[in-house]
Order: sequence, then structure tokens, then C-alpha cells
Amino acid sequence: MVPPRDPRPARGAHQLAVAVRAPVQTGRLPALRAALAAIDAARPGTATFPFADLDEVHFARLLVLDDDTDPDGRPIPASLLYLSEIDAPLARHLERLADRGGAALDATFGLCEGYPPAPDAEARRRYLDARRLPSQATYVNTIGRTALQIRQEAQLREAIEGFLDAADDLPADPVAVRTEVQRFVRSRPDLAWATRRARRPPLPWRAREQLHLLAVVVGLTLLSPLILVVLPVYALLLRLHEIREPAPHLRPDPEHVRALAAREDRAAHSPFSAIGYVKPGPFRRVTVRLVLWLLHTASRHVFTRANLSGIKTIHFARWLVLDDWRRVIFTSNYDGSLESYMNDFIDKVWYGLNASFSNGVGFPKTRFLLFAGSRQEQQFKDYLRRRTIDTQVWYSAYDRLSALNVENNALVRSGLCGSMSRTDARTWLARL
Amino acid sequence: MTLELADIQGLVVRGYGKLAAARYLVAELTDAQLAKRWLERVAGQVDSAQGRPEARAVNLAFTPSGLAKLGLGAGALSSFAEEFVSGMAAPFRHAPLGDVEESAPERWEWGAPGDPVDLLVLLFARDEDELRAAEADLLGPDAGVRVVRALDTSPLEDREHFGFRDGVAQPWIEELGPAPFPDSIKAGEFVLGYPNEYGLLTDVPAGELGRNGSYLVFRQLSQDVQGFWAFCEEATLRPDGAVDEAARTRLAAKLVGRWPSGAPLALAPDGDRPELATANDFGYHAEDAAGLRCPVGSHVRRSNPRDSLDPDPGSRRSIAVNKRHRLLRRGRTYGPLLARDELLSAGAPGEWRDEDRGLHFICLVGNIARQFEFVQRTWINSPRFAGLYDAPDPLMGPEPPGGRTFTVPALPVRERYTGLPRFVTVRGGAYFFLPGIRALRYLASLAD
Repeated sequence: MVPPRDPRPARGAHQLAVAVRAPVQTGRLPALRAALAAIDAARPGTATFPFADLDEVHFARLLVLDDDTDPDGRPIPASLLYLSEIDAPLARHLERLADRGGAALDATFGLCEGYPPAPDAEARRRYLDARRLPSQATYVNTIGRTALQIRQEAQLREAIEGFLDAADDLPADPVAVRTEVQRFVRSRPDLAWATRRARRPPLPWRAREQLHLLAVVVGLTLLSPLILVVLPVYALLLRLHEIREPAPHLRPDPEHVRALAAREDRAAHSPFSAIGYVKPGPFRRVTVRLVLWLLHTASRHVFTRANLSGIKTIHFARWLVLDDWRRVIFTSNYDGSLESYMNDFIDKVWYGLNASFSNGVGFPKTRFLLFAGSRQEQQFKDYLRRRTIDTQVWYSAYDRLSALNVENNALVRSGLCGSMSRTDARTWLARL
Repeated sequence: MTLELADIQGLVVRGYGKLAAARYLVAELTDAQLAKRWLERVAGQVDSAQGRPEARAVNLAFTPSGLAKLGLGAGALSSFAEEFVSGMAAPFRHAPLGDVEESAPERWEWGAPGDPVDLLVLLFARDEDELRAAEADLLGPDAGVRVVRALDTSPLEDREHFGFRDGVAQPWIEELGPAPFPDSIKAGEFVLGYPNEYGLLTDVPAGELGRNGSYLVFRQLSQDVQGFWAFCEEATLRPDGAVDEAARTRLAAKLVGRWPSGAPLALAPDGDRPELATANDFGYHAEDAAGLRCPVGSHVRRSNPRDSLDPDPGSRRSIAVNKRHRLLRRGRTYGPLLARDELLSAGAPGEWRDEDRGLHFICLVGNIARQFEFVQRTWINSPRFAGLYDAPDPLMGPEPPGGRTFTVPALPVRERYTGLPRFVTVRGGAYFFLPGIRALRYLASLAD
């Protein structure tokens, strides 16, 4: 993790999920794979994929979706996908990416269809912008916490730890210790930003979010009589589908499992990418739309503060629908190992996971959308490994921090402001 | 579901505490035909969970190469857990298990990549003479088995080499009867084919061959006892440079999470209380969420966090998650044990370093990935366990890029120790399968 160069306070911004997809030119797939491997070998974030310069980026990845045939026998050509989690605004990111990431884009998207032959920054930007896709559901660990803020707060915590290590006779009173820490922070010009609370996203954006929430509540209330009428019919149809749809327990190819294992432990957290087909038929197409809307709405308005129903290890996650709702790709950035991630899924958010993933071909059988499914541990783990694909290039702006670290650092920072009781000061000091 | 005790090997239900002597023979099958005849002969002598041996006991476990040499087909082999098939020393497992640098498998004394390890013979006897006799009876020259390494153990004691009581928080298999403490664990967490903590039957590989078997994880862990106590001593010297014995023991206890007697810090925060030596019925959340008594990063708290982790610390839900990551530990120490007063008194004898001593760590699990590897990786080795920074397990975790730290929560502010050396080095290891006794007979009957 590179310490931030900018001592100014991070501006307030909300987070966006960027997706750009382009079909790979016929015959260029091997060259594209080689280009991605070269970027990966050179450590993303450095010159070949210069994200450390793009301080709005939290995470970014490039991955190839192989050519494939969908369950109806229709071919899907190979494509390249760029996904990033950034701080708004979008236009700034695309401009900077097109400008500073030019070489990386030319080496990768240059092998895709329609790439400008003699690209300049503006041509690249237009290319990316024209191929952007909307992400249907996104989860952000803490909405409004920017990448620069995260890096600055990590630096702050390390500085305070160093101060405490060196301090000889600290007073016994926690309030007095806190005062000493505040004094230390004020004495450091490079930490000047830390004496104020982190900025929130701009007011108009926050007002819009509140209005959206209001609209959702009002809308659902108005629709509730209709929902009550439709629900029994829906439940019946659902059960019929669940009983009928095949869900064989297939084991993953051991070589695939080993290859995935060998790519883990790149940092404090890891990228997860899994792709699958939506089960055929109109029922599942409707269900997956409803579920993704619900998931998105829940993470937008409910799970906004570092806790996804007991899981505190996910930085970002998203569902992106591809190929006219025939396929869905799920990506996330999670702490620890794939094994612990899957255990978290099963132990803590099985219902949400069942609701979304059970619309995919081959998912372990669910009951009433939410139950069973992923609770069949081994079958679920095997399913997930079979659906997991390699993330060829991946960048994290804070690769030594777990999500709990990020949250703790933010609380260390916010605790520098205002006055505190003895108890509060004690609790705050326990964060160090 | 009743356990088929007559078919399950004895090690699953007992550590053979009455048999004070033990030796583990890491062996190669040099002649498959002879080995099968040998296996046919000795299968009847392998101790089952029904026996209560007074003089000697034998248990047998195999690696994939051992099963293959006996004639188990590739299809059947590949139905075993992937971790077992690719093995503990597989390259992509080094970093997650912490088997790097001094502990890298290339340096192992046995179990290194390419080493011929097919079979593990676990021998227990009431004394050394009986043990020698048992070994001679079991492995004649016509066994088709060559001992690659004989791993001796210290006479059985209830403490490990650093000087702390060990093996207190042992999971209790629910099906064996009423537990001596509230939380017992379903048999499927340790024996294949039984209901586990998800309420599912644990996968049985290779048809009936896997039933009543367990995966056995073996790690030879060498302990730097002198390094451990020297670190604790230096870190707690008085300002005038004098040794502070009480502070030294206290820091050691903070690293471990129990006092030397075994008393848990969570119950005995202020000093050792030998009457709590075997206390096991406690949680961390209610009294000690912040770790002021038992540091969050201490060895016992992170290898068995009890009720302290997400989704809802202090609740049944968190305990339920914890129960899916338990290990049935069956290891014994090796190398000469140092007297406890010698360890705890001032001044470190110079000859400590000359001898290798440590733990032959053995654990039995139904799911290597979710139990042993998860605990090793996500709890022991992770420098970010439960929100910590740069703090892998203080006894055995590998060094993270930011250096190793250990934090003792305290008032008004924590004590932080940086630059901890690694006190435990891995010297060998392998994943084995401990089959049921019928399965042993079946293996002996396989065609060449």
C-alpha cells in the first residue's frame, strides 16, 4: 500500500461500480492472455496498470470471459471485462484512466473489437464510455468512505501507534491520554486533515438517496395489497420450479481448484469472480430481476455501515448481468481465504445468497428461494468453485488492510474530534 | 446416529492417556504384495474405539500414495478431499499454512516433496519396553514396510515444552455420551459418514472405504523454548535491567492465553490459579470482549475463539459457527522436557538449545479445509485475525510483511510488542487418512 501523497482532506464522494466490456478480436485471445499475465506479473498498481496514481480507485480488475455456448446452444464470443470500484464522479475516473492508463488499455482493449487504431486519451475515453455496462446490484462496505480517506486513516493510525510506543509516562486518565494523542496529531502537518471529521458525499446526492428510500417505502406500501395477492401464486410456481430443476452435485476439476488456490493470498483480501447462466425460462428471469433489485436496495439503504448481516469482511461486491440476462457475473473483494469466505456465506448470509445464486444453473436445490441451497455445505462449495474464474489482473488500493482494519481506522480518526466522557475515551483508546 | 465403535480406530475416541509411551513410525510401502499380507495380519490388532487397551495399542493411517500402492484406483482416490489428495506440502499450500522460510517443506526432515511417505503407524504402550516389543511384533522383515522415520515422544505429561498445560479445550463428541461441559460437537466433524455441525452427513469417499474413517493431520512442530522465555524476559526487564520474573510469566501467559497451570486468563486475569487448571466452560464476550484479560491475539483465544467472533459475539449463533472449526487433538510432545521451575526461574540454562524438542501435533478432522486449514490460516496465521494488525499467532504464525506485533490490551492504553521472533518451526508433516477397521481389511484384499 502506497501512503497517500496528498495531505489535503479527502473530498466527499459516494462509490460507483464501473464495468466496461468488449468482445475480443478473433484469434487475439492468446495475445490478450499474455498481456494480462504481463500486467499481473509486474504488480498491478505500478507503471503497467497505474492505479496508484488514480486515487479514486478502491479496486480494479481485468478478466477474460472465455467464449462459451449458453444452455440454449447460442454461442457467446470471448470478451474482456474491466471492473472497478471508484469514488464518484465517473467522468473523472474515465478521463484519468484513459490518460494515465493508456499503455495498459492499448495492450489489452487494443486486442478487442472497435478499439481506435491510433488512440489518444480522448479516443480511449470515448471507447470505454461507449462500452460501459450498468451493474444491477452493488454492495459497498461503508457508503461514502473514499479510497483516499481509507489510505489516509491507515497512515494516521500507524502514526498514533508509533506515538504511543514511544510515549514514556502517559497519564492514567483515558481522557488525558486522548488529549495527548490529539496534541500529537495536531503537531503533525501531514496529518492536518485528521483533526476534522471525514467529509460526507455532497448534500444533493444524500438528498437524492433519502428521496429514493422514501419512494421505495411508499411504493412497496402501495403495492403491498397486490404483493399479498401475487405472493401465494408466486410461491407455488417457485416450488414447482425448484422441484423440477436439476441440481446434480458435480465436483470441480481438481486442477481448477489448485489453480485458484495458487492465486489466493495476494494481499490481505482477495478478488472473487464467479459467472453462471440464469436458469432458462421466464420465471427465473423475472425472479433474478426482483432479487437483484432487492439486494441492491438493501445494500443501498440498509447494509451501508460495515456490516452485511454479520459479515464484516467484504469490501465491495456486485452482480452484473451479461448477454441479455442470460448470464450473471458476481465479483467481490473479501478478506481472508476462499474457504473462509464460503463459510461466511453459508453461516451468515445463506438466505441472500440462495435468493440470488439459486437462479443460476446447477445451484444446490433451494426451498422457497431462501432455504436449503447453500446450507448443503459440500455441494455448495463444489458449485461455487466450479463457477469461479480466475481474476487475471487485480488491484487493491489498500492491500494490507482488512475491512475491520478500515473500519477501526475510521473510528480512530472520528474519535479525534469533539469531547469524550471517560468511558468513551477508554473505548476509543482500545481501538489502538 | 450411533457410532460404529467396533469399526472406528481407537485414536478417535481416546488419546491413550494410560499408555505413557508412544512412537509414530512414518513408513514407506516397499513391497505392495507383502504389505497387503502384512496389513491383513495386523488389521485384527489395530485398536478399535471399543477397546480399552492396558498394555499396547496400534492405529494405522495412510497417505494417497500408500492407498495407491495398495491398489486403490485413481477414481476412488480422487473422491477423497482435495487437500488430502494434493497433500500438505503442495506448493500452493505453503503460504496459507505458514510453511515458509525456516518452516518450508523443502527443509522438512520428513514429508518434504518427493519423500516416500505412505503409511503412519501410531504405537502406544504402557512403557518403553512394551513399546519396543510392540514394534518388533508388528513390523517384521517380511512386512513390505520400511520405516522412513521413527518419531519418538516424551513420556506422557499434560503440558507442552513452553511449560503450559496443554489439551484442555478438547472437543467432546456428542454421540459418546453426556459431555463434561456444555458444548459438545457432532461426530461428523471428526468421523466420516455421520451428521456434522451443519446437520449433514460428512462426505464418505471411495464408497464404503471412507466410512468410519477420519483425516489425520500430522505436523512436527519444533519449539524454541529458550527463545520464547528469553523474549519474554527481555521484553519485561525492569528499567534498571533486572529480571522481573512475575512480569515475564505474565507476558508469557498473555501470549498463550492460559497461565502455566492451564488456568485461562479469561477466568484468572490477575495471576495463576491452579484450581482453574482444567477450566473449559467459559466464553470471552461477556467479560472480556476487548481482551483486557485474555488478549484477542493470544494463542488459545485465536485457535478456539468460542463465542467471541461474528456474526453476533456472545450468542448461540457465534458458538454454532465456532463449532464448525474444531480439531480433535491427539498429539504428544517429543524431546526432553524441562522442569517447570527451571523454566519459570531466572536465568536460561545454556544447554536448552542443543536438543530439538517440540510437539508432534496430530489432529483428527472430517474436513481438512474447513477445520485444520481454516484454523491454521484464518485464525492462527492471519495477521488480521478479528480486526488485529500485523499480528499472526504469537507462538507459531509466520512473519507478515509489516513485521510481527503482539498487543496486550490494557488501561489506559495497550502494551504493544514488536519484532517477535517465530518460536515454532515446522520440521515435517503430512495429511493421512485413518480408515475404519473394515476398510483396512478391504485395503489388504485389493487386487495388485
